[in-house]
Amino acid sequence: MAPNAGYVIAGYLITALALGGYTLRLFARAREAKRRAQTIADRRRDG
Amino acid sequence: MAATAERALGKATSRSGEHLLGIAALVALGVSAVMSLVVAPPDAVQGEVQRIMYVHVPSAWLAYLCFFVVFIASIAYLKTKKTRWDRVAAASAEIGVLFTSLAIVLGMLWGKPVWGTWWTWDPRLTTTAVLLMIYVAYLAIRRITDNPSRRARWAAVIGIVGFIDVPIVHLSVVWWRSLHQGPTLFRLGPPEIEGTMLLALLLGVAAFTITYAYLMTLRLRVGRLEERVAREALSPLVGAER
Repeated sequence: MAPNAGYVIAGYLITALALGGYTLRLFARAREAKRRAQTIADRRRDG
Repeated sequence: MAATAERALGKATSRSGEHLLGIAALVALGVSAVMSLVVAPPDAVQGEVQRIMYVHVPSAWLAYLCFFVVFIASIAYLKTKKTRWDRVAAASAEIGVLFTSLAIVLGMLWGKPVWGTWWTWDPRLTTTAVLLMIYVAYLAIRRITDNPSRRARWAAVIGIVGFIDVPIVHLSVVWWRSLHQGPTLFRLGPPEIEGTMLLALLLGVAAFTITYAYLMTLRLRVGRLEERVAREALSPLVGAER
C-alpha cells in the first residue's frame, strides 16, 4: 500500500459516512414528523 | 424574480424531483470518486495523500455556497416576511455546517502527513473555525425562541452579518502569511493545476453541488413537515385562547 494511503481512505470514508448519515437522519426526521402529524390528527378526530 | 425562484424551488422539491436528484447525486459522487481515486495521477510532491483535495476543496466551496444561500434567503425573508425564505435559510445553514465540518476534518487528515500536525492556528484554519462557530450559533439561536417570526428575524440578521466571514476565509491566504496553500483556481493568471487533476476537482465540485441540491430538497420537506406538526399541536391552544 502506498505511504499515507490510510489518510486518503479515512478521508473518503468520513465523507461517505457524513453525507450518507445526514441523508438517513433527514429521512428519519421526515418519518417522525409524519408520524406525529398523524397522531395529532387521529387524536383530534377521536375528540 | 422572487416569484420565479419560488416556482423553481417548488418544482425541485416535488417528490419526483427529489428522487431524480437523489439518483443524480449518487451517480455523480460515484463518477467523481473513480475520477479522483483512479484516473487522476498522484501528486509529484505529496504523492497519494493529495487525493484528499478532491473532497476537501469541494466541501469548502460548498460551505461557501450554502452560506451564500443563507445570506440571500435571509435578505429575502426580511424583505418579504415569507416563511419559506426562513425555511430555505435554516436548511442551507444546517447543510453548510455539515460541509464546513467536513472541510475542517478532511483538512486535518491532509495536514497531518504534509504539515506534520493535525491543527495549527493558521489564518485560513482559524477563520474557517470561526465560520463554523458562527453558523453553529445561527442554528442554536433558532432553538432559543418558540416565536416563529422572532426566530426568523434573529436568524436572518445573523445569516446576513455572519456571511462577512466567507470572503475573509477565502482571502485569508492572500491577506496574511499562511501555511495553507494559496488559491489554485480563483487567481490572476491560468490555474496552477494539471489538466486531469483539474477535471477531477471540477467533477468533485459538480457532484457535491448536486448532492447539496438533493439534501436541500430533503431538508426543506423535513422543515415543512416539522412546521406543520408544530402548528397543529398549537392550534387547539390558540383556539382556546380566543
